[in-house]
Amino acid sequence: MIGGAQGLGVDTSATIFGAALAKAGYYLYGSREYYSNIKGRHSYFNVSISDKQIKSVTSRVNILATFDAETVFQHFTEVKDFLIYDKALEGTKLEMVRSLEKEIADEMAAVLENEGFGTTLLDVVKYLEKHGCKAIPVEYGSIMSGIINEMHLQPPIAERARNMISAGVSFGLTGLDKGYLIEAIKKTFKNETFVNLNILAINAGYALAKDHYGLKPLKIDGHRIQVDGNTASAIGKVAGGLRFQSYYPITPASDESTYIEANQMIKSANADGKDGGVVVLQTEDELAAINAANGAALTGTRAATATSGPGFSLMNEGISWAGMNEVPVLITYYMRGSPATGLPTRSGQSDLKLAVNVGHGEFPRIVVASGDHNEVFSDAVEGLNLAERYQTPVVHIIEKTIANAYSILDENSIGLKGAKIDRGVLSGGSDDYLRFKFTENGISPRAFLGQAQMFYTGDEHNEFGHITEATSNRLKMYEKRNRKLDLADAEIPDEYKLNVSGDSDTVLLTWGSPKGAILDAMDDLKAAGIAIEMIQIRVFSPYPAKKVAELLKGKKRIIAVENNYYAQGAEILAEHTGIMPTNYILKWTGRPMTKDEITDAVKSIVNDDIKKVVLHGGE
Amino acid sequence: MEENKLEFNDWCPGCGDFGILRSVEGAIRESGLDYKNSVLVSGIGCSGKLPHFVNAPVSGVHTLHGRALAFAAGIKLANPSMKVIIDSGDGDTFGIGVGHFVSAGRRNVDMTLIVHDNGVYGLTKGQASPTLPRGEKTKSLPKPNINDSLNPVALAISSGYTFVARTFAYNTKLSTEIIKEAIAHKGMALVDILQPCPTYNDINTNDWYKDKVYEMDIDPVVKDPSEELAKKNAALAKAYESDGKIPIGIFYRNSLIPSYEERLKDDIPNYLEYYPAMQAIEKDGRSTSSVDSMIERIRMV
Repeated sequence: MIGGAQGLGVDTSATIFGAALAKAGYYLYGSREYYSNIKGRHSYFNVSISDKQIKSVTSRVNILATFDAETVFQHFTEVKDFLIYDKALEGTKLEMVRSLEKEIADEMAAVLENEGFGTTLLDVVKYLEKHGCKAIPVEYGSIMSGIINEMHLQPPIAERARNMISAGVSFGLTGLDKGYLIEAIKKTFKNETFVNLNILAINAGYALAKDHYGLKPLKIDGHRIQVDGNTASAIGKVAGGLRFQSYYPITPASDESTYIEANQMIKSANADGKDGGVVVLQTEDELAAINAANGAALTGTRAATATSGPGFSLMNEGISWAGMNEVPVLITYYMRGSPATGLPTRSGQSDLKLAVNVGHGEFPRIVVASGDHNEVFSDAVEGLNLAERYQTPVVHIIEKTIANAYSILDENSIGLKGAKIDRGVLSGGSDDYLRFKFTENGISPRAFLGQAQMFYTGDEHNEFGHITEATSNRLKMYEKRNRKLDLADAEIPDEYKLNVSGDSDTVLLTWGSPKGAILDAMDDLKAAGIAIEMIQIRVFSPYPAKKVAELLKGKKRIIAVENNYYAQGAEILAEHTGIMPTNYILKWTGRPMTKDEITDAVKSIVNDDIKKVVLHGGE
Repeated sequence: MEENKLEFNDWCPGCGDFGILRSVEGAIRESGLDYKNSVLVSGIGCSGKLPHFVNAPVSGVHTLHGRALAFAAGIKLANPSMKVIIDSGDGDTFGIGVGHFVSAGRRNVDMTLIVHDNGVYGLTKGQASPTLPRGEKTKSLPKPNINDSLNPVALAISSGYTFVARTFAYNTKLSTEIIKEAIAHKGMALVDILQPCPTYNDINTNDWYKDKVYEMDIDPVVKDPSEELAKKNAALAKAYESDGKIPIGIFYRNSLIPSYEERLKDDIPNYLEYYPAMQAIEKDGRSTSSVDSMIERIRMV
């Protein structure tokens, strides 16, 4: 884990550290936590390393790399092996760190006082040593002045390399050659001064550590990428043929849109094809964002928007219009802690039922929730396909924790090359074209604005698109629209709608990000003699009711695992099947579930028959 | 199919919307517009039904209250070959949708916004709209209007609209001409059309307007960037003229400001020739969008 004040390059050093591990053949999953703040507040990356692909972090931290006091005070109870800290801060008292939230400060002070320690950073070091951890003091100040003198730099420029010293110490502990780290720095920075500056910082840190973990370079087959959820969604959408994206700035969604804009000229994969541009429109609000996307979609352009809870609330009416007018539009929903502004930079799953019921009225909504970065890639493509195939809005849920976490993935596992594109039934237009023609399966062949005369209206309409309130038409048109959900239900395969892993009479029923923690906990639970099965729902509308009911039949325990209070995914299960969970593992603190939390919670449910476990790990 | 193509017109007899409808139809015909090259977008309210009533072979998109401009921008930017004409009410534009109205000026997307300006919310039974002057008590208001009115022409000029005009619904000759010019103008155009609401606005009636409106004689065209401020000031002074007469005509016209589409060309050089709606995104069911360069940048090994 590496932490420090926001704006001082914690992200960069964590990313470089990750890149270096990737170069040595390791996989990793890094989870990012930060405040709604530009500069100064505490932020951290929790990074897990493995020789196979992983999807979660642990709450037991091997190495805590710090260069400020706040990170030490906030996280020392999580440390197992090493604390890397600034020797100059040893005298800093916990109560002097003003940005540390009072609740956390009180809690941590109590931990120290209970064992008879004071509240200085040196007391923390002694506490950790008592608990079997090693503390590695780093004289950041003198190292930095040395570098500044050597390179003749302005201190503010050099300051950003401070955290690379701790990355160097951490890397030294892994036992891997520092060449990997230097290679990663060279890939990250183009400017030679920054490269040299960071290399000096790395060297200084690396020299302070001895090999502890004995990691050896691993064999690498094929390419590997390092990606976060925002980027995965952006790349997936482009591969899926997106050509119009509208958005209003909101955390944690905007990074997707700005990434697309930065890469908006798209090369054709065909030798004879032309390059084309994606229009990225920053709108004045989310009302404009959804409706501009609706408008773009009417022209036959694959169109989408990306937002988070508050913006999604504003989009309700526009999504309802899209449902009424059978508009293929994709809304990428970055779910964060709610209600209202909630925990704007933290994660959550508390808006699932909003997504499934978004917009007033009855119309088909397709709702897909990704459980990891691989799924984000494929759901972004498939979201655009489903929208056009069923001519209806599609909501793609990506939780903040997936959006801001990054993974090392095998490049060939993302499957974007020559991705399948399904544009649904197209008409091309004709003189007697009917945009809302009655058909057996409810799908009217689609023509685009410009191809035929057509009308759209939010009012109930006839086949041509003109307003009519006649009962006979209302009966048929209403049913035609809604029948499309039955078609989608029949056509979307169960293998896409849900994932099953393991086989046991104890089922962990989940969706979204807890998937990773559950899968990563499976081995530990097995070692403890507990076999589990995970069922991850990926498509909530149309809901795979029959398949889930069949899978859950005769199970002894059904444990709902969700990052919310009501277990909304399980409520949807009950709505469709009447099946209720027997137990719950819930967390609504905005922090991701870790694999140890899952392991411990399942143990207490299975061994001690606890009905409901509420998690609160991480800060 | 012909019977499908026109919806029964249910506006009140004597409504100013009829004058606007005739002018829009005339402008569409004389500008050579049809469904292949244009689309009518509307909001909600009496004006919102206009696309359904237009006797011309164009398509219509009847959207949501206040949001017509947002839909229109999406259509236009995805397919800039289309002429996009928006019909929207005064409540639609300056009440619930005023944020979009102001922002449209900053972008200068090449579109034409026609505002049906009658001072009341007709379809909800005559509440005061943002253009009804303070103190006026039209017949269904329980009390005199407590809010000041906004000035659409002045707001458009200060928001960055590059074509700003006001006209009167029953001067169909002038309205048709101005709408045609607005359509031809490359940039965001406002045509604010004063109109009576015979059912709910018993103050600003047809006769009331007829005595007051006059075709002004100013040169609204900015021919050089150095003239911009002076022309804007002159237009604003005219927009606020309040000696009992109401000037109509074109207040401001500036073709020197690049449209949003032209601005996009800086980032997407072939944007106008190969815009989003015409791009081939698949071949034989497979994506033709290469993401290789993006993948390369995140490739670690």
